[in-house]
Order: sequence, then structure tokens, then C-alpha cells
Amino acid sequence: MPENCEATITLTGDLHARPAGALSVAAARFSSAVQLAVAGGQADAKSVLAVMQLGASSGQQVTVRAVGPDARNAVEALIGILSTVTRVGD
Amino acid sequence: MTARVGIVLVSHSASLAEGAAELAGQVGGGTVTIATAGGTDDGRLGTSIDKVASAIRRADAGAGVVILPDLGSSVLTVRTLLADDPGDLPGQVAVADAPFVEGAVAAVVTAAAGGSLKAVLEAAQEARHARKL
Repeated sequence: MPENCEATITLTGDLHARPAGALSVAAARFSSAVQLAVAGGQADAKSVLAVMQLGASSGQQVTVRAVGPDARNAVEALIGILSTVTRVGD
Repeated sequence: MTARVGIVLVSHSASLAEGAAELAGQVGGGTVTIATAGGTDDGRLGTSIDKVASAIRRADAGAGVVILPDLGSSVLTVRTLLADDPGDLPGQVAVADAPFVEGAVAAVVTAAAGGSLKAVLEAAQEARHARKL
């Protein structure tokens, strides 16, 4: 039975190349479709280039939406990664 | 953990290949083998069929290899090598028609997630459509 799950977090750092990579590697391990949404855009979380193109920055809200059999775990994993994005480094 | 698809970056410039490998490796979290074949055998700008063959062997962990060439004659060198088929290359080798940096980053991230050869190739080739602005 496919689940539908979403959660929102406020970034404490910019979503640069390295965290975008970590996010996409994690997202690709789930069979659910996973999307990231920010004000002004959304991206397939499994596409690192799309995630980087979002240009999500510190202070912005990011919503993770997943649909599929492991949607809940996917959202938890991605929110976990987004919560570790800090101001330092890229 | 199952074997990851390996990535080969073929560039006219050794430093360009190494820089792209460093960047893609960091974005991908460092779990994918990225081998480079940059420059000629005597260190000039150009491509080397021996360097490409060696990089393909180094990159293969049993799940296949996706090759990203930078510009025209890199493609020619890769194609010549694969057409000549020296016989000791891994069985599953694919050449990506993709932008070099974006394709490398997308391919490495997909390989890091355990993607198949087909998935890694497609991720690299989808990078053609990625916008920067």
C-alpha cells in the first residue's frame, strides 16, 4: 500500500553541492518518488543537479514529499540530512 | 555491499580530469571508484588510448563502467579503443553523451546510491537537460 508522507524543515545552511549529493544518494535508495519543494521551485530529490539548481539557502523552508511504499522512511532520512546542513563549507 | 558502477573521466587535460574527479567524488560521498585518463602519454594536452584502457580496468569493480569523454577527440579515442577491443576490458562498458562536469556529478551520485549501469548512464545523459539558472 503506497504511503504519502511529507515534512518541512527550515534550513540552517545553504544547500550546496556536497549536501545535495548526500541528499540524492539517500533519496535514490528508496523506491518512493521523493520531491523537494522550496518557495519558487521543486526538484526530484534523486536528481542531484535538480537539487543543486533549487539553490535552497539558509533560512528557507524545504518540504520533503514522498509517495510510495517507503515514503515515511524516505522523508525521515532526508529531513535528517537537511537538518545537518550548516553554514560552514559547501 | 554490492559492487558500484565505476566511472572513467577522459579529458584532454590531466588536471581537468582530476579536478572533475575530485569534485564528483566529494559530491558523491567518496564511495565510487572514479578513474581518470587525462592528457597524452608524454603529459601534453590530448588523449591516450593506453590511459583510457588503464582507467577502465581500474574503475571496474564488477558492476560495469560508465565513461565520460570531455570533447570530440576524447570520444574518438574511447570509440577506437572499444572498437579495437583489446580483450581484457570489463564486459559492461558504456559511453555517456553528457556534459563533462554535470554528467560526472550525476553519474557518481547515482553510482553511489547503488544504481545499475543503465541508471548511471541515464543519470549522466539527463545532465544534458540540467539548467544552471
